[in-house]
Amino acid sequence: MILRTKTAPTAKAPSLKQREERGWLWSLLLGLGILGLIATIPWFGDSSALHTWTLILMFVILAQSWNFIGGFTGYSAFGNVAFFGIGAYTTGLMLLSHQPFWLGLIADALVAALFAFLLGLPVLRLRGHYFAIATLGIAEALREFVAVRDIGGGGGGLMSLPLPSLDAYVGFFYAFLGLSLLCLLITVFLTRSRFGYALIAIRENEQAAEALGVPTYWYKVGSFVLSAVPTALAGGLYAYWATGFDPDTVFNVGISAEMVLLTYLGGSGTILGPLLGAIAFEYASFQLQTSGFSLHNTLLGLSIAIVTIFLPQGCVRLIQEFVRKPAPQSTSAHRLIEGVRRVRRFIAANGI
Amino acid sequence: MAFGQILVNWLLLGSLYGAVALGVSLVWGIMNIVNLAHGAFVILGAYAAFWMYTQLHIDPYISIPLTMAFLFIIGWIVQYTLINRVIRAPFLVTFLLTFGLDLLIIDLVQQIFTSDLRSVNTIYAGSGLDIGSTHIAFDRLIAAAIAIVLTAALNYFLTHTREGNAILATGMDRDAARLMGINIRNTYALTFAIGAALAGAAGAMLAELYPFNPSNGDAFKLRAFAIVILGGLGSPWGALAGGLVFGLVETVVPLIPGVGPGYDDAIAFAVLVAVLIFRPDGLLGKPFYR
Repeated sequence: MILRTKTAPTAKAPSLKQREERGWLWSLLLGLGILGLIATIPWFGDSSALHTWTLILMFVILAQSWNFIGGFTGYSAFGNVAFFGIGAYTTGLMLLSHQPFWLGLIADALVAALFAFLLGLPVLRLRGHYFAIATLGIAEALREFVAVRDIGGGGGGLMSLPLPSLDAYVGFFYAFLGLSLLCLLITVFLTRSRFGYALIAIRENEQAAEALGVPTYWYKVGSFVLSAVPTALAGGLYAYWATGFDPDTVFNVGISAEMVLLTYLGGSGTILGPLLGAIAFEYASFQLQTSGFSLHNTLLGLSIAIVTIFLPQGCVRLIQEFVRKPAPQSTSAHRLIEGVRRVRRFIAANGI
Repeated sequence: MAFGQILVNWLLLGSLYGAVALGVSLVWGIMNIVNLAHGAFVILGAYAAFWMYTQLHIDPYISIPLTMAFLFIIGWIVQYTLINRVIRAPFLVTFLLTFGLDLLIIDLVQQIFTSDLRSVNTIYAGSGLDIGSTHIAFDRLIAAAIAIVLTAALNYFLTHTREGNAILATGMDRDAARLMGINIRNTYALTFAIGAALAGAAGAMLAELYPFNPSNGDAFKLRAFAIVILGGLGSPWGALAGGLVFGLVETVVPLIPGVGPGYDDAIAFAVLVAVLIFRPDGLLGKPFYR
């Protein structure tokens, strides 16, 4: 605190406030740059690279859209995989009834939005643990329903779709890329708009927001729907891309946990967090898989433990913390102490 | 099926559910941690009992103290080294962490024991009491008895011992308890370890009663939460009552025309949301300390 009050009067060029105001622009440019680099993969990479990056982009979208509800409003949605499954099955059913793929995607987005709205109405009255468990319950109950009613028609809910043409796989890649670009823009919009401010206010103090006249309930429903639609679209794309899937794959609560993990790893509520977290974790995960390490759940569990204990604020905030300038006259001893303090503030900051 | 038989089946199933939910209720009520790894602890208990049965030829019911001790140690380590480090974080962090532990434990169990379906076949497995046309299987009867004994023992421990009182005090107000000289870290570790030990006991009963494999723990996850919410957090007898009510719902709902069997998770979810909306403090209507 002492160091900080010293800097304030002496700061010449961009003040903290101005820098914060410009931060979103740098984040956006960096995000666009990363997505631009990924866009070149079909030209340089082989088909296995295309396969890997298509899936990585899918997880980028899942993390980004989880961020809308989990990162901005701070509501611990643990069942967002339900929308992924709904998207996959809606698109699949449309394809099986010989509708064009784009119409299937539109139907999938509409169904997911409607479902999120109707389900959000009761569930978003719950808070904390109860909300988390109720959303977890949605995913589990839907998985069971799809399996018992055999929605896919292949026994136990298994669904098999006609194969897309071979050159369509680049198309899938760009569709996922476009969707994650859209999510990036929505995230930037949320950090800069009235709607986004309301969501952040709910995260910081819901009662205070309500007292200030923010209709928190409807904003929560709105952000639930907003986070459901891209997830469902990703599910629809995945359905046609994978051509065969069962309820245990597309309603797997592990995917929900993965969304949360990726967002936390990067930094929840930040613009770049979900993007960076998803790319870093999924790329490492695929590298391990190709080198013969098959225990995906062990990797996921260990990563969750490490991230929740040592990096609960995420990489983006860690970097922000370290690029913050030290006080002008501070000696190297000061900087060392301050560095240690910053590390301690991050690692195991939540223990008793 | 005769009415008496349905009644007996329901009572026995309900008390087993109560035993599964007991540990969740304690951990949630005292520490405000939703332990998603509870199902994994149940499975660990089942495999520990299975291992002792096949290797050392000890009956799962007799080896329950050993199973509980094993899970107690694991629970203590997990809480002391991991969860205590995130206890002040937003609760989603503990939620996520326990989910990760669940994945990890299940994966490791699968590596060690493979995912084959296992079962324990005792000599008395098929036999039971016959009262008229009603059949009461011995193994289920013993399981129900153990569930009741565990509930009573936990209740006695919480209300009549120094450590139990420390746990209750910590659950009421962590900071005040600390000011009274209670070591919060150890108390939390003890609470979680007891929760895990209870899960181990439930696992041993599961091993005795049903065939199981590592993914079976998931089946109890949502049910245990529904039961705990039904019974009210942190109350041992509430957990048993919740188990009975939930067992009743699960017995009756598939009998409704047009529903049919197979909707276990959907039932649990519906019960959960209905209770949260209409009776948020549980059926008994009070959290443990009021």
